[in-house]
Amino acid sequence: MTRVLVPVAVLEGESVSTGLTDLLGTADVTVLGYHVLPEQTPPDQARLQYEDRATEALEDLAAEFRQAGASVDHRLVFTHDRDQTVDRVADEIDARAYAITGATGPVERLLVPLTGDVAVERILSFVTDLVGGRDVGVTLFRAADEETVENRASLEEAAETLAAAGIDARTELATGVDPFEALVDAVAGHDAVVMGEQAPSLRSLVFGEETERVAAETVGPVLVVRRDE
Amino acid sequence: MGSETPPPPGGTNIEGRAPESEPTVETDEATITEDAELERTLGLSGGLAIGIGTMIGAGIFVFPGLAAGRAGPAAAASFAIGAVVALLVALPASELATAMPKSGGGYYFISRGLGALPGAVVGLSLWFGLVFATAFYLVGFGFYAVDTLAELGVAVGEGLVVPLALLFGAGFTVLNVTGTENAAKLQNGVVALLLSILAVFLLYGSLDALGVVGQPSAPETFAPFGSIPVLTTAALVFTSYLGFAQVATVAGEMKRPGRNLPLAMIGSVLVVGVMYVVTVFVATSAFGSDRLAALGETAMVEVGREFLGSAGALAIVFGGLLATMSSANASVLSTSRAIYAVSKDALLPQWASRINLKYGTPHVALGMAGGPILVLVTTGQVEILAEVASFLHLIMYGLICVALVALRRDEPEWYDPDFRVPGYPFVPALGALTSFALIGFMQPASQIIGIAIMLVSAGWYFYYARDVTLKGAL
Repeated sequence: MTRVLVPVAVLEGESVSTGLTDLLGTADVTVLGYHVLPEQTPPDQARLQYEDRATEALEDLAAEFRQAGASVDHRLVFTHDRDQTVDRVADEIDARAYAITGATGPVERLLVPLTGDVAVERILSFVTDLVGGRDVGVTLFRAADEETVENRASLEEAAETLAAAGIDARTELATGVDPFEALVDAVAGHDAVVMGEQAPSLRSLVFGEETERVAAETVGPVLVVRRDE
Repeated sequence: MGSETPPPPGGTNIEGRAPESEPTVETDEATITEDAELERTLGLSGGLAIGIGTMIGAGIFVFPGLAAGRAGPAAAASFAIGAVVALLVALPASELATAMPKSGGGYYFISRGLGALPGAVVGLSLWFGLVFATAFYLVGFGFYAVDTLAELGVAVGEGLVVPLALLFGAGFTVLNVTGTENAAKLQNGVVALLLSILAVFLLYGSLDALGVVGQPSAPETFAPFGSIPVLTTAALVFTSYLGFAQVATVAGEMKRPGRNLPLAMIGSVLVVGVMYVVTVFVATSAFGSDRLAALGETAMVEVGREFLGSAGALAIVFGGLLATMSSANASVLSTSRAIYAVSKDALLPQWASRINLKYGTPHVALGMAGGPILVLVTTGQVEILAEVASFLHLIMYGLICVALVALRRDEPEWYDPDFRVPGYPFVPALGALTSFALIGFMQPASQIIGIAIMLVSAGWYFYYARDVTLKGAL
């Protein structure tokens, strides 16, 4: 099975759109309710006051996922550092991907960018398991400096892998534009994005994680396939 | 951790509320309770920054003039005595912190090791001890703020020391209630900057003092007033070492507590102790203790000017501002944690530890810290404020050592520290002895205020929570 971590800022009223719950219906889902505290507040102090309220909200979320067919559990963490918490829990439960929740309707087509140095096989096998025989189309996307045979061929090869698993796969090669802009433009017409986690770099330190920027730009949900450690 | 679960705390207070407690599992990265997890997010550098950042303010920037006036060049020895006492307490505190890596620090160890009454006395007087310490830091800040203005050409006189201190005290409280995002990162930066300023200053100063560069200084009698003033000065300047135990108050938030807690506590005492001793040595050899004493709370500015001209003076003024601010801010935060720890154990009303969902901060506890601090700042009494703070902390430090001996004597099943004190039982016994002995060398006024606070705390316990039992519970 495919385990997906869904971090939710539970006390800030963050919810999960029905499109995403339905999409994750084929997966094992761990809903991670977290609450970030400023440094002057011990996490335990917040737990005493808000544990019951947070647990109740988490159980409601878990019930929605269960209704969509997923097998679900939930965890609640009080923390000073959201990213550390997501990483730790994802490691502990051995999640293949984590979700950045976002608003979306029913998911009919996924956008899967394969630009740059990403673990194509891991992403494709995750997408195959996620779609799981349902009628969800996939657009494989790649941004490159120019149209070359290799660029086209690598996309076609990936599309064949998906087609072999019975998935309706299209390809899209964007050339000569800023890769990030091209990706954001390509999201139109898709309901969710599945992309690979990038290695930490100077660029991500300055501009923020590309995955989070995509989620912010497109408003929709992003599933991030974790790197192989 | 221990194989057998310890008993839960028992009893209820006057409002019928029992201590909050839940079985937990401690890992290196989180504390896991039945339904929730508490992430550990502080690393070794964060712990060191808390320890050093709390300690480095008062000692280097406020005391050299005052201490030199009392003890002569032997003021360096007074600081060394303080460092030894702090180290003798830091070792047992480290063992207890690794055995009970939970928020609460010294209060937690004493209430669990010795029982609810000593716990309540220490917990409540720690609140006041931190309040006195913060007031002292803020008054020191006021002196430096006035000097900064003077250095910038605005001579306002010492009449503005207290108003400026009040303004900043109120500012910190409000800032902390509305949530200082990244306060810890800022604190790390401030500590790094301070250490660099002092390192340059000390390097140059030591070379000068040893006669390598500049004028050879006139040799002076090391202890012109005899040995007793050295000890009374040690009691006064011990306030400079009040930061290391603050590391234990965030034990529940520290990654790999078994390794990082002892390193942060003992490391910060060593770093700060060496810096203090060298600083005072350098300061007394630059000027001679008489002139240093005449310069008072901001004598260090003139020492800086002596070595490196107005750039040196400016660097010290700037450092002094940062250092007193960082100490004051760290102490305000510790105070609210101290209040939370006793409130969780039903020794104070539960509303004292409420946090607000908007900012996520413990606004009530921060107010209970900020209010009394401002009242004390208006007194402007540097020496009394510092000594009362030391008094109340020294009681806690002594009892931490006693608690360690008590726990080790009939070692409970759950007691399994990652770090064990070398030289047991001599180190904790010596730690307790020296802590209590240092109190004996304080001014009578400070001793009376300290004892009064302890009596009021005990009285509160008997009125409010006499049925609460905490001994041996986790």
